[in-house]
This record gives sequence, C-alpha cells and structure tokens, in this order.
Amino acid sequence: MKENKLKAKDFITIGIFTALVFVVEFAYMMLGFIHPYVILSYAVAIPVLCAIPMMLFYTKVEKFGMITIMSVLIAIIMFVTGMGWIGAPLIIAAGVIADLIAKKGNYKSFKSTVLSHGVFCIWVGANYIPLVVTADDYKQDMIKGGFSEDYCNTLFNAVNGKTIALILLCCFIFGVVGAFIGKAVVRKHFEKAGIV
Amino acid sequence: MRKFGLDPRTKLFMIFAISLIVMVNSSNPLQWGIRILVTVIPIILMMLEGKFAAAIRFAVLYAVAVLLQIFFLSSESSGMISALITGYCSIFAQFMPAMITACYAIRTTKINDFMSAMQKMHVPDSVSISLAVVMRFFPTIKEEYGYINDAMRMRGIAMGGGKVSKMVEYRLIPVMFSCVNIGEELSAAAVTRGLGAPIKRTSACELRLTAMDYITMAVFVLLTAAFFASKYIG
Repeated sequence: MKENKLKAKDFITIGIFTALVFVVEFAYMMLGFIHPYVILSYAVAIPVLCAIPMMLFYTKVEKFGMITIMSVLIAIIMFVTGMGWIGAPLIIAAGVIADLIAKKGNYKSFKSTVLSHGVFCIWVGANYIPLVVTADDYKQDMIKGGFSEDYCNTLFNAVNGKTIALILLCCFIFGVVGAFIGKAVVRKHFEKAGIV
Repeated sequence: MRKFGLDPRTKLFMIFAISLIVMVNSSNPLQWGIRILVTVIPIILMMLEGKFAAAIRFAVLYAVAVLLQIFFLSSESSGMISALITGYCSIFAQFMPAMITACYAIRTTKINDFMSAMQKMHVPDSVSISLAVVMRFFPTIKEEYGYINDAMRMRGIAMGGGKVSKMVEYRLIPVMFSCVNIGEELSAAAVTRGLGAPIKRTSACELRLTAMDYITMAVFVLLTAAFFASKYIG
C-alpha cells in the first residue's frame, strides 16, 4: 500500500529533523562571532556537520514534499532569527530541486541522495546573500553602526559578488562530501541499531 | 478568565516587524531608540506573563551589549581583541531583539494556541504541524543533550579525547538516537489524539484578538514605519 500523501507522522519527522539540523547549525554559527574567517568556513563545516542528521532524515523520506517542507521551515527560522528574507527564495528553490532529484532516485538510490543533499546544502550559502546584494550599503551601515573597519574589510574581502558563486559551489561540494560521511556514520550507528 | 496574554498572531506579527528592523543597521539616535524600544517591549511583555528570570537575563545581556557598543567601540577601534569584542557586541545588539522576541513567543505560546492560530490563518497543516514540532523540540533537544553530556562525563569522556570527530560522534549520535525515539512516541501520541484525521479539526481554545492585541500591532506598525522612514527618506 503506497500512498503519496503526507501524513501527520511525516510532518512530525520533518519537524524533528529540522530542529536537529538547526541546532547543529546554530551551534556552529556561534563560532562565527570569533573571527570573520570563521563565517567563511560555514560553507564547509555546516554542510558536513548537518549531513549526519540529514542522511538519517533521507532514510525516512519516501514521499515527495518532505524536503521541500523542510526548506520552507528553514527559511522561516532563518527569517525569524534575523538572517533576512533575501535568501529565502533560494533556500526554498534549493529544497524543491533537492526534492526532485531525490524523487528521481525514488528516495532510495544512494547516488541521487548524495546529489540531492549537495543541492540542499546551498541553503547555507543563501545566508551570505544579504551580504552581497547590499554590499556597499551594508558595509557603510556596519561601520556607522559600530563594527570596526578591520572587521568589515576582512569580511567583505572574503565575501563579495565574485566569491558568492564560489561559496555556493563550496556548499554543494561539501554537501556531497558530507553526504558520504553522513552515510558512513548512519551505517555505522543506526543501521546496526535497527533504527533505519 | 484567562491570564493576560497576547494572541499568537500578534506575537507572530511582532516577530515579523522586528525581523525587518534588525536586518537594517541603525545609524542615528532615533533609529537606535526604536531598536531599543522594540527590544524593551517583548521584555516587558515577558514579565507580564510571569517569566521574570528570562526577562531579566535578557535585559541585562542586551543592556551590556548596547552600552559597550555605544561607549567603548567605534570604527576607529582596531586590532584583534577589540575587533572580537565589537563583533560580539554588535552581533548581540543586532540580533538580540529578534532572539528575545522569538524566545518570548515560544516560551509563552502553548502549542494548542499556536495550532489554533495557524488554523485561523489558513496555514497548511504541513507547515503548521512541522513548525509546532520544531518549537516543541528545542527544549527537548537541550534536555537530552544535558543527559548525554552527564553520561559521557561519568565515563570520563569529557571532550572526546581532544578529537573533533569524536566529540561530534559522542554527542550528536546519541542525541539523534533519543530524538528519533521521542519522535516515534510523539507521532503515536498525536495520531491517537486525532492529528491527521481527514476532517477539519476543532479547537478547545477560542482565540480572539483583544484591544491589547490591536494596540501592540499598531505600535509595531508605527515603529517599523518610523524606522524605515528615517532610514531611507530622511
């Protein structure tokens, strides 16, 4: 009996894993306050770290829409915590595409899961977009608003229109790398325990 | 009668308005004033609903961050240490309003109020149920993490032997285990109580917007408008 409609149980699963991913992400984001270059490392570390809960999530997904809803939730949470709405369309778009890719592999094939996770991880890059779109304004604002000039220069040397493509690519690549690591971890711990 | 409390929709609206404000940096005293005002309001509301400890903690943190930022640091400050402090303070002062409001909304909204408000706003079940779970789950994750940390410490695995990968593995994996299990229980409980039944759900809590809700919303509309007017026009 295969039903394609999402049920209450699926919504709860989505909620739990979104919370987990967000907690992991938030914990790492706290480190970004230390130095601007740590902010750059988000694009590498968050896809890899979040891959562990995400790969477990992928084993639970078998219907279209679950990854999309997750991306909508992430967009909402990002908005509420003050990351801005400029990245939201990109986050949701990444979610839909990731969902479509995973669906192509019927949510079972490892290859499409890996690709799908890579695309999904572009949401991490979406958080940089407010920095780029409004770069000049933002920099002026930041200096006027009390950020030190050093901090701003370092940040904007690292993040600008040229590097944003690189950052997004980085998210994708490390999303793929993370998927392999995450899969290994899931296999090591969860499959033995019979949770998957 | 019900205790004092705002409608969840008003709280959502507050979050919305404040997120708009915190995204833009304030550069003159009026904008700072508005920014501080929108932080103070949720703190007062939090006290009105009896969450004194959290309210005071936030108030002190925010005051320290703002004072440090205004009096000690400027664009002339340079060097590693002051850049670090500036970074901390500005990010704190920048995002605290949103965090405080989000925290206020989450701590003071009961899940059934939230669901009923979502239903009234015609948000699809997929989003409202998942969001409700997310909201409910943050404290659970924190609690579980505490237990796991204790257990690990008892075995002498305080920092995972200094290896980052071990640290992640020893913390994250057990948390995920317990979360998955809690999720199973949660969905069993919810389905038993009729979540996901194919008919329209009714709700025991009747939500009504009161005068207080309208006043709060009006205040926030005015503040947001003033903020952006002084930013982009004046």
